[in-house]
Amino acid sequence: MTGNERETISTGKAPWKSPVAVSVLLHLLIAIVALAGWSWSEPMQEPEPNSISARLVSPEPEPSPVINEQEQARDREQQKAEAERQQAEAERKQQEEQAREEAERRAQEEARKREEERKRQEAQARERAEQKAREEAARKKAEAEAKERERQRLLEEERRRQEEAKRKAEEERRKAEEEKRRQEEAERQRREEEARKEAERKRLEAERRLREEQLQALADEARQEQEAEQRRQREAAAARAREAQMLSESQKYQSLIRERLTQAWYPPSSATEDMTARLQIALLPTGELASVKLVNSSGNTAFDNSALGAVRALNRYPVPENRDTFERYFRQFTIEFNPQRLR
Amino acid sequence: MRLVILMTQTQVHKQFVLRPLMLVSLALFMLAAGNARAELLIRITEGVDSAIPIAVVPFAESGTMPQGDKISSIIRSDLTMSGEFNPLAPGKMLSLPSSRSDVYFRDWRMLGQRYLLVGELTRKGERLEARYELFDINREARILGETTTAPVSSARSLAHHISDKIYEAITGEPGAFSTKLAYVTVMGQGDNMRYRLQVSDVDGKRAKVRLESDEPILSPAWSPDGKKLAYVSFETSKPVIFVHELATGERQKLADFRGLNSAPAWSPDGKSLLMTLSRDGNAEVYKMELASGDLTRLTDHWAIDTSGAWDHAGRGVFFTSDRSGGPQIYHMERPGSEARRITFGSRYNARPRPGPKGDYVYYVHQRNNDFVIARTNLNTGEESLVTRTGSDESPSLSPNGRLLIYATERDGTSVLTVVSADGGETYSLPAAEGEVRDPAWGPIVR
Repeated sequence: MTGNERETISTGKAPWKSPVAVSVLLHLLIAIVALAGWSWSEPMQEPEPNSISARLVSPEPEPSPVINEQEQARDREQQKAEAERQQAEAERKQQEEQAREEAERRAQEEARKREEERKRQEAQARERAEQKAREEAARKKAEAEAKERERQRLLEEERRRQEEAKRKAEEERRKAEEEKRRQEEAERQRREEEARKEAERKRLEAERRLREEQLQALADEARQEQEAEQRRQREAAAARAREAQMLSESQKYQSLIRERLTQAWYPPSSATEDMTARLQIALLPTGELASVKLVNSSGNTAFDNSALGAVRALNRYPVPENRDTFERYFRQFTIEFNPQRLR
Repeated sequence: MRLVILMTQTQVHKQFVLRPLMLVSLALFMLAAGNARAELLIRITEGVDSAIPIAVVPFAESGTMPQGDKISSIIRSDLTMSGEFNPLAPGKMLSLPSSRSDVYFRDWRMLGQRYLLVGELTRKGERLEARYELFDINREARILGETTTAPVSSARSLAHHISDKIYEAITGEPGAFSTKLAYVTVMGQGDNMRYRLQVSDVDGKRAKVRLESDEPILSPAWSPDGKKLAYVSFETSKPVIFVHELATGERQKLADFRGLNSAPAWSPDGKSLLMTLSRDGNAEVYKMELASGDLTRLTDHWAIDTSGAWDHAGRGVFFTSDRSGGPQIYHMERPGSEARRITFGSRYNARPRPGPKGDYVYYVHQRNNDFVIARTNLNTGEESLVTRTGSDESPSLSPNGRLLIYATERDGTSVLTVVSADGGETYSLPAAEGEVRDPAWGPIVR
């Protein structure tokens, strides 16, 4: 995995690094050859190190150095021709003085030297032509590369343009959408605002109504309370009256029951005045006995039985017709048998 | 600070918790109060003054029955005599059931009856078997049921036994229908007098003469076990106290002192007798030990002291004394202790007979020119009349204290009458021949 990543990284670097390196190397080579060529004839002349070094660090080789070198070469040629002319002048003057002495020898020497010079210049020319060809090739290559770069740049530009266009379109679309959304949002907000306002209005309306209703309710309540109070008072008075009536009615029936039971009770001869039997009686509204229960024994079976017998002896108890009075007093009650006047 | 807050919260919490609780309890209280208010209480402090209606249905019979009164008839008679029951005449009965399955309570209710006795008699050789049931008609409940046998000759005893059971079941007190009476009948006139000491059933039936004499026989008194009678006999021309063993007829001359020997009365334990003796000059009350014959003088007064009787508790003694000028009833807390006067209502109150419950003392009481039986409430001192017939004498109480028998004069002759001790119903015993005097009601013999 890690190895793969590393591989990917190194291959990625190669495309932009190698042409630069090649170009730099090529220029270096050209420069060295040129310098070497010149150093043959003009060893004193040295190329300006500044320009060379500047060109060396430049990331992209430019054709201008080649042009400059040609100009320099021409300059140098002119300078050299000047020097050679001056030298020739000096030599002619000398030779003119000495020529008469060594006219032959010098003529020969001159011939030979001229031959050598011609050879050297031919070699030089050839070298220059080769150099030129190489330079031409380099230039062409550089041009091609420049063209390629230009194309690449154009492609890139096109791509960027297209991307830009696309981006712009996208942006446009997005903006349109944004706008649309914004408008929708605005619309929505407007509607919401309207709804909110409507709701608020309704709420206020409802509150107002509620308040009114509450006020009305309070008023009603107060009125009802007053009415209820009056009714309560009336009812209480009526209840008291009814109560009193019920009580008096119940008392009437109590004494009737007492009378009937007194006539029905045969206290046994073993009864004493301290004997008390308590019976719980349940009656039906008709006055019939529903149930009887001895809740408190006198301790004397005969006495208890006499009480039970008395209670059961009555076929029908005298009870009030008024159902309320009946329910209140006679549905269930207690009878206590306790002889007070034994003979 | 925090604690305070916490406490406050707790209190708030408590309040919240308490409030419903309080409401609930308040509601309960009000409910209870409401119930209490609704729970009417009617007090019945008086009952019917009259006798209890009871239907004694003639018993079904199988086999040859002995001659004489029917069992049911004897029972009705007993219950009637008690003064507390009013038996229904058989002619008014709508049906004559002999067991529960035949009983229609509604019918008996309609007849106004409170109790119903049904039963049957079966002859089994020389014995009679009685099976009977007593019902409370209003409660439609059986309150008594028994099967019992007796010799054919004791059919009356069987009837009295059933009467006792009925009486006890309904009144809560033991019946006294199986007890005996002792009394003296007098026949003849002038020098030709016959005195007979007799013992009978309480209804006067089955009377048997125990002693017959030309001289007066007085004051028979039952021993607590019902086996002996003490009495005064003049058979030796002077009053002498005898003790008579009923089963054997054996007689013992108990007190034969100079002067008066009279008014014998048994102690509750039957070991001694109170008697009136004038051996020391004046009539005084003495106690004699039966076993030794030792005498203890209980009274010492110049006036006449007589008719000693043990009170219900057997500790104190009632007696008659004329120390106030006329005969009155006195009571000694202990034999020999200071006497307290009981009666004040008239000039003459004599022959005390204490009630068995200690609430009353009965005696012969003179009102205007009549002699009646009266009683004094020992708690209140209140005096009330028990009889009103006049010429009434010799009261004697039934063992349960409910009835009192006494001798009175009717149509110029002396008869025995039974009356409710409270002065209610009276029941005259069937007239015996001649005069009947000095009745003495025997104890309940278990």
